Amino acid sequence: MSNTEFDQALQTFFMESRELLEAMEESLLGLESSPDDNDAINAIFRAAHTIKGSGGLFGLDGIVSFTHVVENVLDRVRGGHVQVNGELIALLLSCRDHIGMLVEQIAADPAARPDKELESVGNMLLAQLKSYQAGVTHPVCSTAPAASCTEILPQTGNTVESDMWHISLRFGQDVLRNGMDPLAFIRYLDNMGKIVHILTLPDAMPFALEMDPESCYLGFEIDFQGDGVDKAAIEEVFEFVREDCSIRILPPHSRIEEYTQLINELPENNIALGELLVNCGSLTRKELEQALYLQEALRSGSGTEAASKLGDILVEQGVVQPELIAAALGKQKVAKENKSQESKLIRIQADKLDQLINLVGEMVIAGAATSLIAQRTQDAALHEATSTLSRLVEEIRDSALQLRMVQIGETFSRFNRVVRDVSREISKDIGLDILGAETELDKSVVEKIGDPLMHLVRNSMDHGIETAEIRLQRGKPAKGTLRLNAYHESGSIVVEVGDDGGGLNRARIFAKALEKGLVTANQVLSDQEVYGLIFEAGFSTAEAVTNLSGRGVGMDVVRRNIEALRGTVQIDSVEGKGTTVKIRLPLTLAIIDGFLMSVGSSSYVVPLDMVMECIELNETERQETRDSNYINLRGTILPFIRLRDQFRERGKPARHENVVVVQYAGLRAGLVVDELMGEFQTVIKPLGKLFANLKGIGGSTILGSGEVALILDVPTLIQRAITLESRALN
Amino acid sequence: MTISIATSNGVCHVNVTGEMTIYHAAEIKAELLPCLELGTELEINLSEVSEMDTAGFQLLLLTKRAALAANKSLRLVAHSPATLEVLDLLNMASYFGDPVMMPRTVH
Amino acid sequence: MAKTIMVVDDSASLRQVVGIALRGAGYDVIEGCDGRDALAKLTGQKVHLVISDVNMPNMDGITFVKNLKQLPAYKFTPVIMLTTESQEGKKQEGQAAGAKAWVVKPFQPAQMLAAVSKLVMP
Repeated sequence: MSNTEFDQALQTFFMESRELLEAMEESLLGLESSPDDNDAINAIFRAAHTIKGSGGLFGLDGIVSFTHVVENVLDRVRGGHVQVNGELIALLLSCRDHIGMLVEQIAADPAARPDKELESVGNMLLAQLKSYQAGVTHPVCSTAPAASCTEILPQTGNTVESDMWHISLRFGQDVLRNGMDPLAFIRYLDNMGKIVHILTLPDAMPFALEMDPESCYLGFEIDFQGDGVDKAAIEEVFEFVREDCSIRILPPHSRIEEYTQLINELPENNIALGELLVNCGSLTRKELEQALYLQEALRSGSGTEAASKLGDILVEQGVVQPELIAAALGKQKVAKENKSQESKLIRIQADKLDQLINLVGEMVIAGAATSLIAQRTQDAALHEATSTLSRLVEEIRDSALQLRMVQIGETFSRFNRVVRDVSREISKDIGLDILGAETELDKSVVEKIGDPLMHLVRNSMDHGIETAEIRLQRGKPAKGTLRLNAYHESGSIVVEVGDDGGGLNRARIFAKALEKGLVTANQVLSDQEVYGLIFEAGFSTAEAVTNLSGRGVGMDVVRRNIEALRGTVQIDSVEGKGTTVKIRLPLTLAIIDGFLMSVGSSSYVVPLDMVMECIELNETERQETRDSNYINLRGTILPFIRLRDQFRERGKPARHENVVVVQYAGLRAGLVVDELMGEFQTVIKPLGKLFANLKGIGGSTILGSGEVALILDVPTLIQRAITLESRALN
Repeated sequence: MTISIATSNGVCHVNVTGEMTIYHAAEIKAELLPCLELGTELEINLSEVSEMDTAGFQLLLLTKRAALAANKSLRLVAHSPATLEVLDLLNMASYFGDPVMMPRTVH
Repeated sequence: MAKTIMVVDDSASLRQVVGIALRGAGYDVIEGCDGRDALAKLTGQKVHLVISDVNMPNMDGITFVKNLKQLPAYKFTPVIMLTTESQEGKKQEGQAAGAKAWVVKPFQPAQMLAAVSKLVMP
């Protein structure tokens, strides 16, 4: 096995273990509400079972020995010998965490020595598990139970000259039907040492008509030589046919009595058998005579006692060891359908996928350039070819992006544990509802959303949901509910963290913001604007600040993280009823369908799915709107922004102006531009740090012509349009 | 697995192609034994036997025994590597008494 | 001609390591991730040996072996069951279903190779 192959397999093991541990956690948490869920119990067992089994393959003894005990307890749970209760679930969760730590330790450094601290945690957990284990603990043995009788009887009395093992085999009729081929065992034996002589005995085979071609009738007498081979090793060769085959093994220099016994026990005619043994070199003729003589003596009765004693010894030596340990297993239910669909999945390294997406991005740009050139040539055939190409590129782009889409459910379900642990920690009874777990979003977004979600969830639990006493006073159920929800909305994904707690107190937030100098006393703010203040740096209304996730960072970090993903946060709250934080994120970070427009010599792009409609500003409207920031759009007021002013575009306004109506998070605004240039596939290139403070620009892209176009940050622009308009009204 | 049978001058030539294993044991037995009735000599060509297990070997043994009982002769010819390996492993080449190329020196 | 072995286990890493060991010894290996998947992949081609776990999603090892033994092309194919020392009951059940050989988990690749070569030499 080459090292790279092995390393790859080891990586698979780490990944698989993480998945199994996650599934294990989920099922353990599920058991809290339904302790009799057999599917969950089976899934938990299987996770431990698989990690132990695969861990053993890699020689990860630390993982194997610990997981073995856990598996053992789980097996007893499965068999109904151990009752599931909160205490056991808590213990198993800790064990699950410990297995995770063991796996991660090795993942970080395969050569790492056992960590003292980790070891002591393990020992503590093992001690706790002890009370759930069966009275008899089975050792972890790495091989099938071997026959125990390996010692050779003291060599007293007459021994034979032969220095070879003698093996007598009589196969049962069913071995072939069971898939066991005697030839295969004999080959194996020949590989282990050397078959010096073999006699094939067809005596048991009936004549033609009665002979069943699928039955085995053969017996073999074998003289075998093997360096360092002991009896157990020879027995093990035939371990799979133990019950289907009578096997007698005589060690080198066995006593003649033992051969006597052998001859006696074998089905063939005694004299013939004796000849046979002489023929195959196990016995000399003299030894045979002695043996047969002894046999007579035994039969005549004088030696009955000795015979039976001898028989006992041989039984001990030659007969299959019955398996001693029969674990008392209850009736095990067959594992039912599982969501595992591994057969339909392949694993790809994330960076390979990223590289593909990058290349597709480059291809989109190159494709756009080709189309542009084709348009100039006026060549109809070329036109057609490039338009087919564009369509394909578009499909490839969509498929490539689809590859990176993952369901948010996995991220959500991690919070089961968080909510459970935190609610214990802060002594509140809080349940978690998960909705929209199947909603898909880009993997790169999923990875970055975990931390902000964690903050919001902990914040809701700490400050949002009241204590049971207050809840009861307010006429609410004592148990609080936290809700995680996800859904798609016009090209964005919305992730909500909601609670049925006390809601935000507008007055208190405003007062606090005033105190911190974030607002002025006579400022008029909407509810949402006030709520948004809690995301300002250094803002905290809670009397007692709990140290969130041990890091003590504020909500401002949450907003910054989300904005870094080109997302926005919004809070809805009803005092006394609860709060919902809505995070709105782009579906993907890499490529968008854009709408291209120009102002003067500059090109701008907005995400196509935010564009509602485009209208031309006629001369009268241009006159009317010269000093205002809104137009009348079919009876409603539409605030707008002139991009020419916003980005200080030089030069005179064009003769014609257009309004592009954009929408985000339920708000609309118009963007006034010169020219509409249509749909355009865009690869988003983030702006450098230098431009991080540029308001209204989200990124840049390269056009087919090689020019740079700026991607507009629509949410910011809409907000600005609305602010300008309300200021004007005031 | 296929078996072809041809008789000429009182010699029945049987050619076994493919696997002589338990999967085809019933079939082989049903085809092979009646061949003894087709002539005074039976010659089984094993050159095309790709695989032989205990079940296949037993049938050769059974046929040999039946031939001896009926006082007819059975010859195994052109042993394929798969069949040679089995006869050699079980030390049975001499029982059949056919000239074979033994790949291994005598025990 | 290399002998073909099918390895059925829901652990991808186990299949990978066993596969590496078996291929290294000269066997051809096909994989199934559970009983249902394995049955779907067994379409009559010659398989000399099947190695199957007991605990698997979708279709467990016992049911898989029972089904396998119903198929004419595989009714005599030897089966190695992967059991654990605490699964004595399962071993009996497996034997009744037709899996007469077993290897106890956890095992080293060499142990698996030994068990396999007792039944089928490469």
